[in-house]
Order: sequence, then structure tokens, then C-alpha cells
Amino acid sequence: MQNGQDSSAEQIHGFDTVLIANRGEIALRILRACKDLGLKTVMVCSQADRQASYGALADTFLCIGPASAGKSYLNRDAILLAGRLTGAGAVHPGYGFLSENAACSAAVEEAGMVFIGPTAESIAIMGDKIAAKSAMIAAGVPCVPGPDSELPDDHAAVETIALDIGYPVIVKAAGGGGGRGMRVVLDAGALHESVAVTREEARQAFGSPALYMEKFLQHPRHIEIQVLCDVHGNAVWLGHRDCSMQRRHQKVIEEAPAPGIAPDVIGPVAEACVRACLQIGYRGVGTFEFLYEDGGFYFIEMNTRLQVEHPVTEMTSGIDIVQAQIKAAQGIPLDVVQAAVTVDGHAFECRINAENPTTFLASAGTITALTLPSGPGIRVDTHVHAGYRVSPYYDSLIGKLIVHAPSRAEAIVAMRTALAGTEIEGISTNLPLLRMLFDDEGFAAGGTDIHYLEKWLKRRSAS
Amino acid sequence: MSRVDFSDPAVIASLAAALEAAGVDGIEVEQRGRKVRIVVEQEVPGTAWRVKALHTPSRTVQPGKVAAPMAGVFCSDHPASSALSLALPLEVAAGEPLGFIRIGPILLPVKAETPGVLTRRIAEDGALVGYGDILFEFEPRP
Repeated sequence: MQNGQDSSAEQIHGFDTVLIANRGEIALRILRACKDLGLKTVMVCSQADRQASYGALADTFLCIGPASAGKSYLNRDAILLAGRLTGAGAVHPGYGFLSENAACSAAVEEAGMVFIGPTAESIAIMGDKIAAKSAMIAAGVPCVPGPDSELPDDHAAVETIALDIGYPVIVKAAGGGGGRGMRVVLDAGALHESVAVTREEARQAFGSPALYMEKFLQHPRHIEIQVLCDVHGNAVWLGHRDCSMQRRHQKVIEEAPAPGIAPDVIGPVAEACVRACLQIGYRGVGTFEFLYEDGGFYFIEMNTRLQVEHPVTEMTSGIDIVQAQIKAAQGIPLDVVQAAVTVDGHAFECRINAENPTTFLASAGTITALTLPSGPGIRVDTHVHAGYRVSPYYDSLIGKLIVHAPSRAEAIVAMRTALAGTEIEGISTNLPLLRMLFDDEGFAAGGTDIHYLEKWLKRRSAS
Repeated sequence: MSRVDFSDPAVIASLAAALEAAGVDGIEVEQRGRKVRIVVEQEVPGTAWRVKALHTPSRTVQPGKVAAPMAGVFCSDHPASSALSLALPLEVAAGEPLGFIRIGPILLPVKAETPGVLTRRIAEDGALVGYGDILFEFEPRP
């Protein structure tokens, strides 16, 4: 889709060196995309990662601070200095760390570099849940029933809002996210105490007591739509994903496309997402996350960054999302139009975590032996190898196993084979859990909701 | 609002760059009983700023080795100094600079934490060094 407002050629940013401000598999993924585009790379790391073998692939590998993320990967000043020292023309934040930090986006650009992500303004709008909801409503994106305004202090007014929405409702912190700062209210008797407790939590955790209220959906699926925008008023959506297989709001398995949702149902929603991007002047890649229940889509938030699960969409669309993101940051117009975007076959991604598959406690240590699967339709995104030491300082994700096949049923079989061909020794991983899930009949049927895995785990521990 | 961490050299460097851009002569910040002073030395070409009192000790990561306290360009001597690097081994007093890390507009001295003998310079003059990179071999004296 185009809005016809080409902002001019002055938006071409001819950087030739990208500073990768992240670690692990995504740092390596970005490095590969840069190399494919003929760009030089500066990879920064913490003291804990200075021995990481993937650093040798970068043109410059520079340690910027101690193991603590706050002193390294989250240290905006140290990253900016590294950019200055190495002459980097752009900063790619990856996911997590500073990727959705509006101040970081602004600081990078103030320092004369390009932030490979949206503007600070776009990040700030989407980081404020009330502002984001207002922007979505303005673009016609369906939202969860409830006002797009802050919850008032007046008890009677709060009661009226809850009654209008209809119980159960959920009270959320405007500055929250990732499952934090929210409380379900089943009936009017619990309303005021729930609001008061959540407000105090929001004040302490997010620095703002602002709350909002929505309808609580009881059996939703998590469906998301991938968008890609340039700075010339062009935007497309690249398909949809189902990420309902979650534990404590952390995705475990993702797939594309979301099974069982007709194109004429999701198409208008995706087109509204593209419209929203154009209305807020969004640039680069982003993901609109929705709850989906009883045929209805309800916007929950927009992730203004590259996502962990982007490979499943790459597999089904045939588009290299990281390269496209970098090219958009360079000011290059999109080379794909909506009509040319296709969804081919089905893809799954398993997140391989260094954790106990039963207790989910993180498992640090040295990988003593590693066997990875290969073959048609199999992709492994990882930075680890035999002899790699998994650090206790960071997220437990050590790799992603991705399969692509003509149909969902065939992709399930392919993933079972791929999982069977994956062996990691020396540390605990969630591979046994992933293998069991791909043998689960409910999951194989498709369309499980976001509570399915938690219930499945409860049944497993009870038995 | 979180308190700015003035013990972080990156914060100092960022602040120095902002001061340089604003054309300010210097700044002194006191926090938790510690003081940081950044002053301009405009008579020294190419070395506009120098951190005078920053609590960033050189890092002894392994016995006899001194590592860089932050990423930057290694300078074995102060750029304003016309003297050549003194021959090794070299007796140094506690607090004496062994060399410098240049980060944009600031010059961060890497000081001897104790009296001792500087026996070897490992980093090359003008080399880009990372946090924790070994710069010197140093034998502390009791």
C-alpha cells in the first residue's frame, strides 16, 4: 500500500557500517544480513561474550563493558561511543535490550547515526498502551472492548466503565507489557481493590500509575501480523503468525500462517495495520499482536522491532526480513508490493532454551556435544557450538529450529524429525518438552489458545 | 528517575561530548560524596577534554596484567607530551598514569593502582581496544 507521500531522495542514508548492539543468535543473524548486503559490521559485546566465536565473523568485535547487561548491552552511552570509535553509520538493536527504547533511537540519530528501527516518536506511541490504542482505533484496527483513555480515580466512574464493558474485565498499567502490571477482575466485588493494587504496582514498576480497562478474553489465541515499511510512504504486511504456545507469556513455539483463519477474515485486519503504520509514519519492521477469540481480532500491542519469530514469516513469504529492515533504514524504497506478497506452505519455529525442561530453571555451562539437523526445509539459527559456554547472565535462548513444508501436517512431521536429530549435551535444554508438544494431539489439531501449554504442564505435573 | 552513574566512563564521555558541543569550559558534579570534574585544555590541539577525577581504576584481570577500563583508542603517552615513551622496565608510583584511553573528546588515564614496575606495553599505540583488553604487564611492589 502506498500513501503517495514520497518524502524525497534526501532520506537515503548511505551508511556502509552497521554496529550490532546485541548478542547471541540474533547478533549473528543481523551480521549475516549485513554481509549479504555488502555492509561492514561492528559487533559489540560484554566481558561475558568476548570469547564468543561468532565475534570473529564481524569486521570489528569490541568489548564495551562488564557482563552485566546494564553495563554493556543496555549501556546506551557505551554503544554510542563504540559507534563513534569505529565510524559506524547505523545501529541495529536486534530484539530485547535497547530495541524498543525511544530515548535510544533518538540518541543514536542525534549522534549522527541511523537507528535501524522506528523513530523515537513511533516507539513512544506504541510503548504507551493508551496512546497505541487510540492510534489503532483511529486507523480502524479492532481493539479489545474498553475505552482508549486512562481509568479515572472516581469509583463510580470506574464502576460504570466496568459495567459498560461487561465482566470479566482486565485492569492494565498503561506503561506495562509482557504480562506484567495487569489484573483480572471477575466481578464488581473485587473491582476497587484490584484497581488500587494494580495502580500501586504500576506506580512502582513503571513509574506511572496510569491504568486502563478492557474486556478480559477467556480463551484467546495469540495471532500477530508482520509489517514492513519504508520511509517513502510504502508499507506491506507479510503474513500472520500464531504464537499461542506460551508459558508465562513467553513464546515457546511459533508458526506461520496461523491455522484455520480465513484470508477474508484476517485480510481486512492486516490492511488496517498497514493503514495505521502509514498514519503514524512508521518505518522498518513491526508486529501487530492480537488476541483472537470467536472469530474476532483484538489489538493488544505493537512490537516496534524485529521479533524472535521472524524466521517463520521469512520461510513462508520468501522475504529476508532483516535485509529488508536494513534497506528500509538506508532509505531504499520497498521493492515489493502487497499483491506480490505470497504465503507459501507452513513453517514452525521452536525456541531452544538452556533450561530444565521440567522446572524451567536456567541451565548455564559448557555445551560438550552438539548435533544439529539438516536437510530440505530445515533452518537452524544459533550462535552456539560444541565447547560454547552458555552464560548465566542473559536470556536462555540458545537457538531456533525452523522447518518449512508444503502443509502444516507435513511441517509437524518435519519438525518431529528435526527435533529427533537435535542433541545438545553438557547443559539442560527444553528439547524434551518440544518433542512432547509436537507429539501432542491437541497441538497437532491446531488452534490451541494461549492457556493451552500452562494447562498441559499442570496435567503433566499432576500425572 | 534513576540517578546518573558518574562512575561509568561512557557517561562521562557522553557528557564531555555534550559539553564540547555546547562550548562549555568545564563541569564539576558531586554525588554521594564523590566528585567528578571535567575541564577543557584548549591549548592542547586535539585533546579538548581530560577527566581529572574519575573513579575508574585500571583493571587487574589477572596477576601482572592491566586491562582497559573501557573501549577506546590506546595512547601510551599523553598526546600533549613531546617526550617519547620511557624505556621499560619503568618504576611507577601508585596513581601514576601507565597510559591513556582516548574516547572521542576525553582522555582517560589508566593509572597504576599500586607502586610497581611497568615491564611491557602490550597494546599498540593508536590501537582500538575494548573493555578488559590487556594493555600492560605490571609487577606490583609490596
